[in-house]
Amino acid sequence: MNVTTLKTKAENQLREQFDDAATTLPGSGWVKTLRANAFAAFAADGLPHRRVEEWKYTDLRERLRDVPAPVAASSKAVTAADLDRALGSLAALDAERIVLVDGVYRADLSKITAETTVIELMSLAAMLAKAPGWLEAKFANDSGVVVALNRAFMTDGVMLKVRKDQAAAKPVLLVHARAGAEASAIAVRNVISVEAGAKLTLIEAHIALDGAATGNLTNAVTDVAIADGASCVHIKSFVDRAGSTHLSTWTTRIGKDASYRGFQLTASPALARNDINITFAGTGGKLDLSGVFLARGSEHIDTTLVVDHAVPECESRELFKGVLDGRAHGVFQGKIIVRPDAQKTDGKQMSQALMLSPDAQFSSKPELEIYADDVVCGHGATCTEIDGDLMFYCRSRGIPPDVARAMLTESFVGEAVDKIEDEAVRAAISTLAIDWLRAG
Amino acid sequence: MAAVKETIEQVKAIDVDKYKYGFETDIESEKAPRGLNEDTVRFISDKKGEPAWMLEWRLDAYRRWRALKEPTWAKLHYPKIDFENLYYYSAPKGTSGPKSLDEVDPEILKTYAKLGIPLKEQEILAGVRKTGEPSPSDDSPLADGYASMAGRVAVDAVFDSVSVVTTFKKELAKAGVIFCSISEALREHPELVKKYLGSVVPQSDNYYAALNSAVFSDGSFVYIPPGVRCPMELSTYFRINEKDTGQFERTLIIADKGSYVSYLEGCTAPMRDENQLHAAVVELVALEDAEIKYSTVQNWYPGDKDGKGGIYNFVTKRGDCRGDNSKISWTQVETGSAITWKYPSCILRGDNSRGEFYSIAISNGYQQVDSGTKMIHLGRNTTSRIISKGIAAGKSQNTYRGLVSAHRKATGARNFTNCDSLLIGDKCGAHTVPYLEARNSSAQFEHEATTSKISDNMLFYCTQRGLSQEEAIALVVNGFVRDVLQHLPMEFMAETQKLIGISLEGSVG
Repeated sequence: MNVTTLKTKAENQLREQFDDAATTLPGSGWVKTLRANAFAAFAADGLPHRRVEEWKYTDLRERLRDVPAPVAASSKAVTAADLDRALGSLAALDAERIVLVDGVYRADLSKITAETTVIELMSLAAMLAKAPGWLEAKFANDSGVVVALNRAFMTDGVMLKVRKDQAAAKPVLLVHARAGAEASAIAVRNVISVEAGAKLTLIEAHIALDGAATGNLTNAVTDVAIADGASCVHIKSFVDRAGSTHLSTWTTRIGKDASYRGFQLTASPALARNDINITFAGTGGKLDLSGVFLARGSEHIDTTLVVDHAVPECESRELFKGVLDGRAHGVFQGKIIVRPDAQKTDGKQMSQALMLSPDAQFSSKPELEIYADDVVCGHGATCTEIDGDLMFYCRSRGIPPDVARAMLTESFVGEAVDKIEDEAVRAAISTLAIDWLRAG
Repeated sequence: MAAVKETIEQVKAIDVDKYKYGFETDIESEKAPRGLNEDTVRFISDKKGEPAWMLEWRLDAYRRWRALKEPTWAKLHYPKIDFENLYYYSAPKGTSGPKSLDEVDPEILKTYAKLGIPLKEQEILAGVRKTGEPSPSDDSPLADGYASMAGRVAVDAVFDSVSVVTTFKKELAKAGVIFCSISEALREHPELVKKYLGSVVPQSDNYYAALNSAVFSDGSFVYIPPGVRCPMELSTYFRINEKDTGQFERTLIIADKGSYVSYLEGCTAPMRDENQLHAAVVELVALEDAEIKYSTVQNWYPGDKDGKGGIYNFVTKRGDCRGDNSKISWTQVETGSAITWKYPSCILRGDNSRGEFYSIAISNGYQQVDSGTKMIHLGRNTTSRIISKGIAAGKSQNTYRGLVSAHRKATGARNFTNCDSLLIGDKCGAHTVPYLEARNSSAQFEHEATTSKISDNMLFYCTQRGLSQEEAIALVVNGFVRDVLQHLPMEFMAETQKLIGISLEGSVG
């Protein structure tokens, strides 16, 4: 283990925390080795910084000055009403509900009405404690420093499976709630499996309950495996006003003729990094990924996306929109890779930022890496302030400037939100976004 | 359609040996000993008879170069270059600097004749002068209008490390334009060189720029005085001849207030099995209301069909729009070189200044291209435009890498970027790596990129109307690069169209 690279205060805190927590973290046998190896992988490189190309615009070494202690067992009493209040418009959705409070699965707050022949649910902590051999393979394809840290510190999460040819009738709402009054670090890992021909709509909601501490660090990893012919809608909403740091990674594998529709709403973290890694594993796969990032003050939101067309005849679409106010910095990095034999690939990507204040910043790096010739690939990136002509049009029709600005901003964001097909879910997400915009 | 036809004919006319400039000139030359150390730098400086400050400048660059690491971020793969096994200076024997045409070694003149570069001033680039048109000569009085000047090009010919001849000097001098080799400029106009050299590309800018600053042997120097529109196109023709020699030329162009100049650059090299290094630096300075148009047709030897040999082309080109309302426009056609690492950039410092980048990069065989541009918006209301067309064929890799950034105070910055890639064959790769950095909200950046092959629909449409497969491809390719071709000076446009045909030979159908 190379220990000399851990230099910063945050890196040293992580080392101490790992040493302290080694005995209390769930898991035995190979799980302990897995954690130790994961921490060693992190220690070899330390926190990523701006000289690491993928982290050019989000220097974690610089920005992550202090790492709060890993979350202690939550003693706080949380009721369904507390959750509903924090969930806002999402609370009213007719959905199965799975709840994690401060990174720990809470059976008492979760409610699954579907038969176990349709949905199978397990807590990761329970499985790590048993450490069955087959579970180890789930971590085999991990990559990156943030995921390594997650693997070292993960406390819990859900393992959710939709069985072959079954369709989850209701969306599954996976609530990640923060309740602790002390700032803490939470590492959760979700393993989602949609078996052949199955269907699932999964909504991940990251919320802070009333009285939750500020300055939290969340490291959430969700692996999604979509088997042949299956389809999955995966939505994440992160709405936090408590100056927290949010590191999120989605790793999705799309099987033959499978479909994946992803959407991410990220509003007001102090710092967020959303890594999304998609791999097409079978021909005929379809991907539609979109997102909205909203930041003001000195907030920083980074969306980094890699779409790997490893096999022929797949289609991918990405649309990301950001609204940046104050001195906020929005980052979008999107890479489309087309492997040598991935002929007939169709990939399109668009990222757009609207800057509401003169000091807002947007950095974008859309990237194409193409090794096959029979492809149609493209990307676009734009950024600017609100179009003067559009403002003029609205104002000449008697709309006051504030209202005109709000209308134009909401319609800008709306284009991405409209990618959510389910009407109720779309309305709920739209409400969250509009509430944020109007709160400014 | 004429151009299309020409492309096809050109393609057909070519034999197995596609690179027609691959011959070698047998001429004695004087070289510095192999390897690089402070003595090499002193040797070069001494050969050039440079002032002491210049030697110090070079030594400073050399020391900085020693401290720098070779960059590895580009999408390029090549064996490590042994910098200690190269010759850093090579000059045809007997030439201590540019002199009159009569004194130049006839072998060199023959070389340029073979390359189609007119060094005799009564000659005009083929295809431009109509037959029977009287030949203008250096002594003829300046014509009333510039129209009659069209088609005349002043050439600075650089052979290996030194400038062998510069044409039309007298006539340019009448307009106040200084056009000479940089060695001569160091002797005749040291104050200008001292003021501007390294002001755009500092010695330690990057690894290859530092190397160049230490050992550059020659290059062109241009100064356009205030308010002067340069009466003719200026051009430099670079030729690498000697074996195991690195070519390091340095070009410095200064357009003073309200002036205009159009500058062309061309390059070729013999075919060899070994790789050769070319690391040039080009600095452009445009003061208030000035405009510089810089066009390059790069046709260094690309290596043979198995990827053996070829030039490593590591070039730093940067223009500084220093004055308000200034404009710098880069147009490049990159068809040669085994490896191209080149990012002609614009620093838009003056208010309302404008930067342009038009590029056609064609790679075939085992060529690797990593090229693009940087547009750094610093002044107010600055605009830039990037049009990049990449064509990858064979087993080549073609990367566009670009940066557009707007400083906090660069309000009203505007950029439009379009980079399209065309793939011919399933073994090649085309990559796009753009960076957009807007640090204020009034910046308006638009970027779009596409990658595709020539669509079956297009080919079907053309062939269904009676064109052969080959004609159809030529038509589509010519259409694909049209946006950029339009920005080339006329002399280069025809040549480029032919070159595109040649470069893609063997890759189509």
